[in-house]
Amino acid sequence: MYRRTILCFRGQDTLNAFQRGMCCLMRRYVSVRSEHDIKNFIIDNTEIVSAQSLTPEISLRLFTPTCRFWTERPESWPFPDPYWAIYWPGGQALARYLLNNPEVSGGRKVLDLGCGCGASAIAAKLTGASRVVANDTDPNNIIGSKPDDWDLILLGDMFYDEDLADHLHKWLQTCITTHGTQVLIGDPGRAQFEGHDIRKLLHKLACFELPDSVKDENYGLTNSTVWCYNYKPDL
Amino acid sequence: MHLFSMFLKFQHHLYCLCLPQIRVKPDHTGVVTDGVKHSMNPFCEIAVEEAVKLKEKKLVKEVVAVSCGPQQVQETIRTALAMGADRGIHVEVSGKDYETLGPLQVSKILAALAKKEQADLIILGKQVADFRDSGTFASEVNIEADKLKVVREVDGGLETIKIKLPAVVTADLRLNTPRYATLPNIMKAKKKKIANVKPADLGVDVSSRLEVLKVDEPPQRQAGVKVETVNDLVGKLKEAGTI
Repeated sequence: MYRRTILCFRGQDTLNAFQRGMCCLMRRYVSVRSEHDIKNFIIDNTEIVSAQSLTPEISLRLFTPTCRFWTERPESWPFPDPYWAIYWPGGQALARYLLNNPEVSGGRKVLDLGCGCGASAIAAKLTGASRVVANDTDPNNIIGSKPDDWDLILLGDMFYDEDLADHLHKWLQTCITTHGTQVLIGDPGRAQFEGHDIRKLLHKLACFELPDSVKDENYGLTNSTVWCYNYKPDL
Repeated sequence: MHLFSMFLKFQHHLYCLCLPQIRVKPDHTGVVTDGVKHSMNPFCEIAVEEAVKLKEKKLVKEVVAVSCGPQQVQETIRTALAMGADRGIHVEVSGKDYETLGPLQVSKILAALAKKEQADLIILGKQVADFRDSGTFASEVNIEADKLKVVREVDGGLETIKIKLPAVVTADLRLNTPRYATLPNIMKAKKKKIANVKPADLGVDVSSRLEVLKVDEPPQRQAGVKVETVNDLVGKLKEAGTI
């Protein structure tokens, strides 16, 4: 199923920490290459971008049209699926919301689950979270495990697959009942999300219109919304 | 065979169709479907490409990729999504029903879907076309006002026709050169939706009207005989009993 790796941000330069984390992930798959080689590979094949998103104040290493792998045959990509090389629209809404409302992350322990490029985790750190973990594909599956005492869990663009959504939904309920964790979800209104049961239990917090370039690249998506999950277990 | 199609919505939807590589079973009762790699055939790729190009020209609003077949066809739908289709529909047909799935049932499925989706244009790969009065063997497709202008490859050369929408078009090899799916687009396709539909949901019965008696591969091509003169040719034909 989903393999996860845990990256930790503890007051260091978050971009470098993230790159180090990605190197750890890739090293599991490409034992021949050193962390140094992998880091350089990422640097050579991505570009730092900040404009053209909902959060121009955050710089991210992503695929852009000037990068080799924008047009290169996908078979030549030597690593697992690079979900992290795209700034997904749900994550953009979450990051924007956190930056607009610093009290949401300030002083809290935050988990960015399925972090992709890590923007929401970065936004949480920038607005004063005491501890931030950015989590994406990892050998030790966090979903389904005993939850830690997170104050806040962030989920951007995680409801595109029915099976994943169902597993997530159950695990989130456990987190809320065990630790009273606040759960925030960012989604651009994908059909798979709109049709899922969790949708009925969500309370809208904010809605952002996506920049034109993001709309163009994601037909049918025009806005991205942040939701709070109001799960109340039956007493 | 499995079938793949693109529905196009212009203000329009578009559908396109495909076939996989097929091999005959050793007992001659059908074709091999286990483990067949359900990759898109060239005609389907061309159909998808045309749909996506029309969308890029802003003549089309949404491109829907449709495929009929077992679970494995989702792979070809994902490829279409990675080439630029917006969402997919998987019409689940498996086992015996899939082996006996013929053009009649497929046409019914597509017709029912096209109506449900309010598709304005259906683009198919050439090999599965069984439509009349449509833009078959299209080597160029354009939209002018509310009509479709199609340049067709016919025996005598090229024919240009204008057809009203909704319309069906089949892609010829010369229609375009398909793009390959790039890595960023493959990643984006992973989060696009593929809906699952059963033929029964569309009111279509896929039980076969035909009983397959035998399936054979085409005969191996035999070596020919060279002759020097016309008289020799006539002599050979008489020998073979053909004249």
